[in-house]
Amino acid sequence: MRAILLRTACVAVFTLAATPAPAATDECTGVTGDAVLSARTPEVDLYDGPAGKRLKSIDNSKFPKCLAIAQKAPNGMMQVTIDGQPSWVLPNQVNARVASGAKPICRNLAMGGNDKAVGSTRAMGEGCPKPTGDK
Amino acid sequence: MTTEAESLPRGGLLARVVHRARKPNRAHVEKLKDRVPFWFVAAVLMFFAWLQIALNPFGFSDLTQRYSQDVSNLLITGPYLYPTTGRDKVSVVVVDEKSLIGLKQPWQWTYSEHARALDAILSLQPKAVIVDFLFVDQHPDATIGELADEIRRYKKWVVPIYFEGGIDLPYGETALRQELARTGVPILDPTIIRYDGVVRQYPTTGRCYGTNGQEKPDQQCLSLALQVYKDLYGADYPPDLLDGKMELVWGTKTAPFNIAFNERSGSPPCNDDSGFLTRFYRAFFDRKSVEGRCAYNNYVPAEAVINAPPNDKDIPNLIPGHIVLYGGALQGAQDTSYTPTSGMQPNVFVHAMALDNLISFHGRPYQNVMRAFGRTMSNEPAQVLAIIPVILILSFLHMRRVRARKAKLVVQREEEHDAIWDWFVEKGAENFWHWFGFFLGLSIGLLLALWVGLSVANWVEVVFISVELAAMLLIGLPDSFWGYLHHVAGGVPDDIIQEEAV
Repeated sequence: MRAILLRTACVAVFTLAATPAPAATDECTGVTGDAVLSARTPEVDLYDGPAGKRLKSIDNSKFPKCLAIAQKAPNGMMQVTIDGQPSWVLPNQVNARVASGAKPICRNLAMGGNDKAVGSTRAMGEGCPKPTGDK
Repeated sequence: MTTEAESLPRGGLLARVVHRARKPNRAHVEKLKDRVPFWFVAAVLMFFAWLQIALNPFGFSDLTQRYSQDVSNLLITGPYLYPTTGRDKVSVVVVDEKSLIGLKQPWQWTYSEHARALDAILSLQPKAVIVDFLFVDQHPDATIGELADEIRRYKKWVVPIYFEGGIDLPYGETALRQELARTGVPILDPTIIRYDGVVRQYPTTGRCYGTNGQEKPDQQCLSLALQVYKDLYGADYPPDLLDGKMELVWGTKTAPFNIAFNERSGSPPCNDDSGFLTRFYRAFFDRKSVEGRCAYNNYVPAEAVINAPPNDKDIPNLIPGHIVLYGGALQGAQDTSYTPTSGMQPNVFVHAMALDNLISFHGRPYQNVMRAFGRTMSNEPAQVLAIIPVILILSFLHMRRVRARKAKLVVQREEEHDAIWDWFVEKGAENFWHWFGFFLGLSIGLLLALWVGLSVANWVEVVFISVELAAMLLIGLPDSFWGYLHHVAGGVPDDIIQEEAV
């Protein structure tokens, strides 16, 4: 009975250890700066450039963890090195730790435009310039 | 034969009829007017009503309907009656100019760039995605395989995805590139109906496309919104309901996200808040000022979806579990239409509104056709049906008035009435009964209209025509017409016959 309990406990510990970390958990303390922590989607596509062609798709389980981000493109794609090969990954397919704040997204939905976006934001429209009142 | 008849030219009956038609005796016509029968009054009114409803002279019928549909959208259905059920389930991911700038991806996007955008949407777990871009032209782009693979990925994740087929293409041109069509992705007809540039109706049926990307001639499929609704909500459409078009109800309660997003961006407000009376005045006299400025359904810039940070506050409320339309608002594409409540909007919002209507009305949108007695009919017979009670009551009241006029002539000779009694009691009572009768008839007509499912636009036309018919009776048009016809046919007033006899 004790052996069974012990074995069950071992299996439980092993299972817990094998479970992928949740997206928000940063276990890549060894990598400084911006980093791709893990895969977020079942498949991760690798590209040869931020506007390039797709090289291949890697299964979630085979995607390496804790990859340093060499550079980030305006379209959100991130350059990492996988198997010694520089490749670009999509932001929606990976969990990443990015220090630099996101660009504000501003829209004048009530017709016209608003080009003077400054600051940083986590919600759409936050950080956009407010009208000064002078017309 | 009367003296009048004897004075007519000789040459037979026809010559006399022609003479009377050309030179009618005014006194005779005036007297014969009072002999107008009930059936004739009703028939004349019916003819005029039918003329307006069916033949649409000067576009009166259409214009009245469309104008009243707009006013109704702005005043009643939009702010008070139209539910927000659909609005909270439909979002539009828009590739706009600023997304191009923000992503540094100038238009035209490669297939790979579209695939990446669609992948970003997919990873947010939408209920379904409708791609409102046409992939028709055969320009060389080696990344087309990536888009085809993305479609397969959607299938793998069991998220329905729809593409649109080209319409009015040169003979032999595929409606969707074969590389994409071969994946078996459903291809839908993106046709939009405009009336004078304004979108108020939406088709129920459209073209069919095969898995080779070619249009299937002589076949009819559901329109884009209906097909998506059918697939996602399991609706069943009887074929006879598909004969007509959807009458779109345009909501005015702009999506809260759009209002907040627009406000945070420091832009002018989406809507000018005003009370009912101000709104009422503006709807009729300054319509532009009462229209909203923002799109009704959630406007999510493609840039925000593609570059969404993990801690984004808005995206989790906009895409997961939503029906997402992925389309463009690009100046160069000119893919816009005027909407009755929100001004000019990209056409992708028209499809969104059609889907919104279907969701909000549980798959039974307002239509320009209706069912009565187990049959589907167009709105014209239904309007005629609705106006029949009005005509009958108006004719009855008119006949009472004609009889009273006739009787009054006799009574006047016999006795003098008290003027006060005459004007304030008799006239008042008569007017009351006339108005009561008119509104009763109108109510019966409108209830009939409601029963057969006429839209507000059609009701208003019934009201307009009713008022017009009442005005016709007021000037005594059917009586004069009867008097003339009777005179031409040889009718002679009673008193003339009596005088002749004496």
